[in-house]
Amino acid sequence: MLSKSLATVNPCSMCMPMGSVLVFRGIENCMTLFHGSQGCSTYMRLYLAHHFREPVDIASSALSEKGAVYGGAANLKQGLRNVIKGYNPKAIGIATTCLAETIGDDVPQIVREFQAEEPLAKDVTFISVSTPSYAASHEVGYRVALKNLVQTLARKPEPGGGRTSGLTNNGRIDGRINILVGSIVSPADVRYLKRLLDDWGLGYILLPDISETFDAPLSEDMPRIPLGGTPLDDIRDSANSKATVTIGGLVQEPGAGDFLKKEFEIPHTPLPLPIGLEYCDRLVACLEELTGEAMPEGYERERGRLLDTMVDAHKIVADARTAVFGDTETVLGLTRLMTELGMRPQIIATGAINPAFAEAAAKLAPDSRIMTGADYSEIAEEVSTRGIDLMVGPFTGRQTAKKEKVPLLRVGLPNHDRFGASHQLMLGYEGTMHLVDRLANALIESKEGGPA
Amino acid sequence: MIVKIFEGREGHIQQKGDDCLPLSCNNDSLAGAVSQRACVYSGARVVLNPLTDALHLVHGPIGCAAYTWDIRGASSSGPDLYRNSFSTDMKELDVVFGGEKKLAAALRELADRFHPPAIFVYSTCIVGIIGDDLGTVCKKAAEELGIPVLPVKSEGFRGNKNEGYKAACNALFELIGTRDYTPKSRYSINLLGEYNVAGDVWSVKPFFEEMGIEVVATLTGDARVAEIQRAHAARLNLVQCSGSMTYLAKKMEEKYAIPYKRISFFGLQDMASALRTAAEFFDSPEMKEKAEEIIVRETARVTPRIERHHARVSGKKAAIYMGGAAKAVSLVRAFQEMGMDVVIIGTQTGDRDDYEKIAYIVKDGTVIIDDANPLELKELLIKQGADLLVAGVKERFLAYKLGIAFCDFNHDRTISFEGFDGMVNFAREVDITINSPVWQLPVKRESPIAGRSDLTISAGVEDVIQEPCHS
Repeated sequence: MLSKSLATVNPCSMCMPMGSVLVFRGIENCMTLFHGSQGCSTYMRLYLAHHFREPVDIASSALSEKGAVYGGAANLKQGLRNVIKGYNPKAIGIATTCLAETIGDDVPQIVREFQAEEPLAKDVTFISVSTPSYAASHEVGYRVALKNLVQTLARKPEPGGGRTSGLTNNGRIDGRINILVGSIVSPADVRYLKRLLDDWGLGYILLPDISETFDAPLSEDMPRIPLGGTPLDDIRDSANSKATVTIGGLVQEPGAGDFLKKEFEIPHTPLPLPIGLEYCDRLVACLEELTGEAMPEGYERERGRLLDTMVDAHKIVADARTAVFGDTETVLGLTRLMTELGMRPQIIATGAINPAFAEAAAKLAPDSRIMTGADYSEIAEEVSTRGIDLMVGPFTGRQTAKKEKVPLLRVGLPNHDRFGASHQLMLGYEGTMHLVDRLANALIESKEGGPA
Repeated sequence: MIVKIFEGREGHIQQKGDDCLPLSCNNDSLAGAVSQRACVYSGARVVLNPLTDALHLVHGPIGCAAYTWDIRGASSSGPDLYRNSFSTDMKELDVVFGGEKKLAAALRELADRFHPPAIFVYSTCIVGIIGDDLGTVCKKAAEELGIPVLPVKSEGFRGNKNEGYKAACNALFELIGTRDYTPKSRYSINLLGEYNVAGDVWSVKPFFEEMGIEVVATLTGDARVAEIQRAHAARLNLVQCSGSMTYLAKKMEEKYAIPYKRISFFGLQDMASALRTAAEFFDSPEMKEKAEEIIVRETARVTPRIERHHARVSGKKAAIYMGGAAKAVSLVRAFQEMGMDVVIIGTQTGDRDDYEKIAYIVKDGTVIIDDANPLELKELLIKQGADLLVAGVKERFLAYKLGIAFCDFNHDRTISFEGFDGMVNFAREVDITINSPVWQLPVKRESPIAGRSDLTISAGVEDVIQEPCHS
């Protein structure tokens, strides 16, 4: 085994502020502003535009040399003022960059000053989160942004006052269930979850909701901020829910769900992403237990179709030696599915530094090589020696795939060189079924000498 | 003022014909305005990254390296080391205690693993703040490793992309003149500000060679370190992307007495005049004759293919938003050749001279904009009735959402636009996007039950508008 290299060669992760955008974009009428130099916003806009094929506006406090020396308060305030004037948002998510963190700007304090000084700030909610690139990966940025969001907004009703938002979305008054999307998934995945919960008739608050905001329909009027996202009132009301379920929270440090549990005594169940039959069943069982309502019959048939597909595919995929890499929760879900199908995951890797991931992966596939904090040069080395049939992960694995002549099935963010990242469904019985189809086809095409 | 969204942006937008002061430009972007610009580091990266056999090490946290890894269309005819992403991946402790030791160790390790002929080390924002002495570390490493190790002072916050161009040019300047060379031809040139996006240079270089000219080095498209090192041996510098490379051309003129000429390889007229410029400089009658022969031959070859498209796009309105001004100016001429009107033209990093030149060549009524943002672009595209936007990926989806055709003319484009064949590609690109049937599809569906009073469900069924959004 190689000792950890001093330099990172071809990164398998991104930086913290990137994760925060995925959360802020899932809030209704919310703009994101990075406190730092202009480049961070532009680079991440470009990166996300490539992936989602949508316009992505992220503001910047555009710190210059002066700001770096004397502090960035003036720039940050001007930036907030301009975002309000230009975009008229209900909320602004402010994420710091390495520059702002290193010069030591106190963002919450600057925001308080801004709120006191600026009449325009009156109707705007500010959510600030500390996301220095050097501290951790985009996954952690996502988790802390989601946590800060709930921490900033979730409130019990004032004594004697009513609920913050009246009726739940199915007209019931009893507590809803918080569905926290604990790791990065696609707009199609979120749409699927909402459809499932709606069809089930459950009262829920889903957060963050990127189903429309990162995959907007073409319309006659393009709004300045894309429509959709979780309403702020719903986020406030999350303190009054009867339970919280975090999907994609299997191996994450305490996040929004834990905060709600600690602060408001709302029971919290962290679950894996519903990928693969077992993990899907776990989500369904959890919701049935919480609500006493059985999953609608249509979804039972969907489950049956998934199982039917898995049976159909089992010989095609049997014993296929795979390398799975990318975000921790997605990788675990994919690994579980592969073991259910009789595939043999050989390399289970993530760019994140996460010991709980390594433990969980070892349980799922004890004979595999498990890597955390990995870069692609390390993954490539393993791929070259382990006789891999199929790589599954973000498009950034393409150089390794090409060099080692192994087909790459693109799953997760980023995916810049193929269409459909926004529409790629991997969650639930249906999403898993699509994954099974894609896994089988990738192996068939590879055998036929088709496209990698 | 044609659009007014942000206070403080007034001086950056004007309409030709307005009686107004010179355009404000080349200053810090307005906070909160969502500038399309990147940073100093990005400027340096754009210029240096196409150097194919060099190792590009980003000294900083992982983000700066992650978002710039293999995202550009600059092609290589050989080595592919430049397609990798190298980073010192600074962590919290490096920020607290300084990253010099980690950098020095990383340089040793990478040189040992990849044997590059040279290493460029880019500094990022926090390196500037914590004060790592890049110069000293690089100097020591160069001595130890026996290869050039060049610091690129590209802390993101120290200005805009233009500062990054300069930082890159300074690094290149250090490399130039470090290898002896006598060109094989008495006529020799360098191509500056040519990045071989989508293989552009391969449809340009053969014509110079046909004229008996040796291209010593291309800076930096498909270049090797050794070529840059002997670039001082050329007799003439042809500068295409003037924003990024004029600075280097001037430095080379000063030190090596190599004169420079501005040219462009985009558009039939510009391509022809680039060949003529070289021939005239060397003042060789045979070469001039050869140039004319090439121009006549190639123009005749491609014209029928281009004209097919011209007929389909003539009279349409184009908007241009480019990183640098040189490309923007070339595009104006190209659209004139195609019979199209330019209604908006803007750049991220143009300077006063650039905007004067632009103002001179565009028609009255054209909006000129510096350092634009999505809200201004959106309003301008609608108000000016643009049929097409030529820009980069960030702007692509804005255009599409507005029902406006789009052509990618940035560093991540994958279709060659330079030289004679490039113009055929460009004309086709413009044609297929402007004349795509997708713009004729109704954005609003016509409902058979719209307006029927006996039906109570009317949600989502409003007045039917048959006109497509792209009119």
